[in-house]
Amino acid sequence: MEGNIKLLLPVVMPVAAGIVVLLYPGFRQVRKSLLTMVLGTLALETVLVGLALAGEESLRLWQLTDAAALILGVDGVSRLFAVLTVGVWLLVGVYSTAYMEHEQEEYRFFGFYLIVLGVLLGLDFSGNLITMYVFYELMTLTSLPLVLHERTKEAVAAGLKYLFYSVAGAFLALFGIFLLLQICGNQTFTPGGVLTGMLGAGVASTEGAVTDSLVWGKEGLFLTAVFCILVGFGAKAGMFPLHGWLPTAHPVAPAPASAVLSGVITKSGVLAVLRVVYFVVGPEVLRGTWVQQVWILLTLLTVFMGSMLAYKEPLLKKRLAYSTVSQVSYVLFGLSMLQPQAFVGALSHVVFHSLIKNALFLCAGAVIVMTGKTQVKDMRGLGRRMPVLLGCYTVVSLALVGIPPASGFISKWYLACGALASGTGVWAWLGPVVLLMSALLTAGYLLPLTIQGFFPGADWDKEMLKLHAGQVSQELHWEAAAEDRKKAEPSVWMLAPILVLTAGALLFGCFPGALIRMLETIGAGVL
Amino acid sequence: MSLVQNFPFFSIIIAMFSGIFSSVLDGKKARNLSLLVIVLTTGMSLAVLHFCVRTGQSYTYMMGHFPAPWGNEIRAGVLEGLTAVLFGLVMFFSVTGGMDHTAADVETSKQNLFYIMIDLMLSSLLALIYTNDLFTAYVFVEINTIAGCGLIMIRQIGRSLSSAIRYMIMSQLGSGLFLIGLSLLYDVTGHLLMSPAKDAVAGIEAAGLYEVPMLVIMAVVSVGLAIKSGLYPFHYWIPDTYGYATPTASAVLSGLVSKGYIFLLIKIFYRVLGRENVIASEIVNVLFVFGLAGMLMGSVHAILERDTRRMIAYSSVAQIGYIYMGIGLGTQAGMVAAIFHMFTHSATKALLFISAVGLYEVSKDQKDFRSLQGSGYRNPLAGIGFTVGALSMVGFPMLSGFISKLLFATSALQSPHKMLPTVIALAISTILNAVYFLRLVITLYTIPEESSENKREEPANEEEIPKRRPVLSPGTWKLHLAIVSFILLNLTLGLYSQPVVAWIGSGLAMFD
Repeated sequence: MEGNIKLLLPVVMPVAAGIVVLLYPGFRQVRKSLLTMVLGTLALETVLVGLALAGEESLRLWQLTDAAALILGVDGVSRLFAVLTVGVWLLVGVYSTAYMEHEQEEYRFFGFYLIVLGVLLGLDFSGNLITMYVFYELMTLTSLPLVLHERTKEAVAAGLKYLFYSVAGAFLALFGIFLLLQICGNQTFTPGGVLTGMLGAGVASTEGAVTDSLVWGKEGLFLTAVFCILVGFGAKAGMFPLHGWLPTAHPVAPAPASAVLSGVITKSGVLAVLRVVYFVVGPEVLRGTWVQQVWILLTLLTVFMGSMLAYKEPLLKKRLAYSTVSQVSYVLFGLSMLQPQAFVGALSHVVFHSLIKNALFLCAGAVIVMTGKTQVKDMRGLGRRMPVLLGCYTVVSLALVGIPPASGFISKWYLACGALASGTGVWAWLGPVVLLMSALLTAGYLLPLTIQGFFPGADWDKEMLKLHAGQVSQELHWEAAAEDRKKAEPSVWMLAPILVLTAGALLFGCFPGALIRMLETIGAGVL
Repeated sequence: MSLVQNFPFFSIIIAMFSGIFSSVLDGKKARNLSLLVIVLTTGMSLAVLHFCVRTGQSYTYMMGHFPAPWGNEIRAGVLEGLTAVLFGLVMFFSVTGGMDHTAADVETSKQNLFYIMIDLMLSSLLALIYTNDLFTAYVFVEINTIAGCGLIMIRQIGRSLSSAIRYMIMSQLGSGLFLIGLSLLYDVTGHLLMSPAKDAVAGIEAAGLYEVPMLVIMAVVSVGLAIKSGLYPFHYWIPDTYGYATPTASAVLSGLVSKGYIFLLIKIFYRVLGRENVIASEIVNVLFVFGLAGMLMGSVHAILERDTRRMIAYSSVAQIGYIYMGIGLGTQAGMVAAIFHMFTHSATKALLFISAVGLYEVSKDQKDFRSLQGSGYRNPLAGIGFTVGALSMVGFPMLSGFISKLLFATSALQSPHKMLPTVIALAISTILNAVYFLRLVITLYTIPEESSENKREEPANEEEIPKRRPVLSPGTWKLHLAIVSFILLNLTLGLYSQPVVAWIGSGLAMFD
């Protein structure tokens, strides 16, 4: 083991804490100690990650086989994802302390919640393909109990679906990784790709010396391998054709779990794709090949299809899940353009979508906890009871649609500009068109809740009366109607994280400068 | 000559004589003797391994000081030592893990017979590993078969008797073919010791003589040993055999016995027939194709299967397919991968069988895998053990199965013509593995629904139900020890595979 050990701490610490939470029976009885433990771990983790990210260090763990070493390292991309992960985990953790009170067997949820955090940071810090794959598989396994949490028949079925899609995707990717390893070895991630350098060196040395390169003569196979990796890792990011698990897994998981699944874990699929395309294969190698064409087609298809499915979905959490399918593919679309501006747009959308989607799921969870309602049509008049909550929902919805000055606008602007400047033929204009249409649909599926919530219409009170007409006496049913209109915001533990996320979604839109500059530096490195 | 060099001979003889000695002991003493012998021989093998690694070379050991063309020889190198150590470990933990079940499943008066079989099995496995003489190999192949049959039928329920007979017939077919191969080889070369036989074969090949007989020898030896190790499509004896024997017997048979034959085959390829000749004869390609077929069909059968133990047994068919595929690649790297997978599979399959037993004990001992619902909570350690084993078989990173897959894939990429079929078959078979193993794991952690609990029907075929015996307590320390050790073995192979792979490589180099 050589290198800086402080990179390992943020990976190991939460895993250890999670195992303690799972195994030590004391945490099952005393809720307070459980919560202290979880929040303490999360706070400590934030500090550890901060320390680990301070320098550009790397850590070689050990040789797995002769050809494959496990390496952790820090670069711009890992910084972005690690900060995002920890931030979201902390906020959702705070929210869960209030939310999970209504669920059984909290210790199990929190135990795995901490373990997944450690694994995700391992994924963010991964320095080469094998390390990344190891953590990727671990992530699938450890996040499964979060989906399965309620252990109803439905939840188990959904968990199985999640597992099969993830595993099938991961092994499809593994197939490609094996081929890639053969061609470029298990080298550490290099901005701009390992192969690009090789090809370039080949050309530079002598005329037609590209034959030296290992890819020569095997382009078909090589591109197929890359394509398998894209589709395989795309499964986690909800890219068509392996998107099916998302809308099934999200509604059955507890709201905090759906939030991090949607906000962070889908992004790890993005991270994996990003690492492969920009840090191993190299954008120059892919540019103009059929892989890029098909990839763009798949992402656009997913963007459109996700929005359409969300538009006609009555269940709020499922609607949000479809929205995730669509939105994460915005990111993949940006990456598939292989163009600096689109790259910036994609990465900024990673951050923004993560904040927004977490906020949305937490809102949905709060509504479920406070009212027990899951269908959008039942949520009429919600704004009267929970004005702050629905206000937050509205603000982040607008941000997701892309109304300036909220954050979604910035990422979509970069995505569209990048696409137009990408020189990918028909996609250069078709892409922005699809993005715009999808934005319209986004407004179409998110805003009805706002409108009906705040403006239920003149007949709403009467409807409420009709609803309660079954009550025994007149007074009782007036009381019930009054109950429905009373203010009943969720507790501050739930509301505060939502408010912070909303503020983030708004402020990043108003002052995107620092973030964009950071992303541009990363982009300049890889493109 | 240092003392250590005697150890291979000692361990074979000790194991054999303890078997003979056990026939006058009662069950418990025979068992303790067996355990002692396993520990002793494993320790000796460890010393041999250490000796060979330190000196960096192999040695041959003359039996009774008769020189080469007449005397019998034993040969030990890094690979032999390593294999013997791992086999010893797996054997020890399989016996300890299944000890209580052996006591419950086998008649009291026949307990000592069971342990005699175990001793003979150990002795024959060690002999197959260490021998440098083809006829000795044949003799111990037969001893192994007899011991295997004994282990299967000692449970004495209908299905296990018929499966023992089936095992006997298939094994005899394999041994017969192997014997024919040896006889032909003896005719052609005039030698039964491996080293002079190899020289003779090299001479014959160089002179271009006996083309057809050599081909027949290679084919017959390969097919004979392939039948005995259960390569698809000669696998029909496997599911019944592994599915109905006592847990120890299942673990030993699937984890070790089939591997012993594969090890012998590899040894014959390298030490007698010559690797280049075998590759040139394209026998490897046949093994390769059968290996691929096994990888896929074994998993398909396992998916269709409802009975947990038979499911695990079919998975063995698939894993044996992996090993033959590695051999069939015909490269050094492929061979290393195959041998590593042999170790992986020994450790993992034994873990699966032993933990499955722990789960059965808490689930009314029914066949259908759905009866295991929720058993992961009723016997947590067995549940964890099974999960680790299943994940390792599927090829999750950090576990030994992943390293096998990695080695197979990297070795496949070095042989251009077989690259695509191998990698595609690996991908498909991995996903198929995932389908049934993860389904099982999820079943373990699903809470059964009340309604189905009540109207669960008894299996129709009375013969299928094993004799009712009192349910054993699920948490004996022996079972726990075995499961924990197997998990650790798996993790060690998965995390620190490098030295093992290096030893395999240097051991193979010593074969030439």
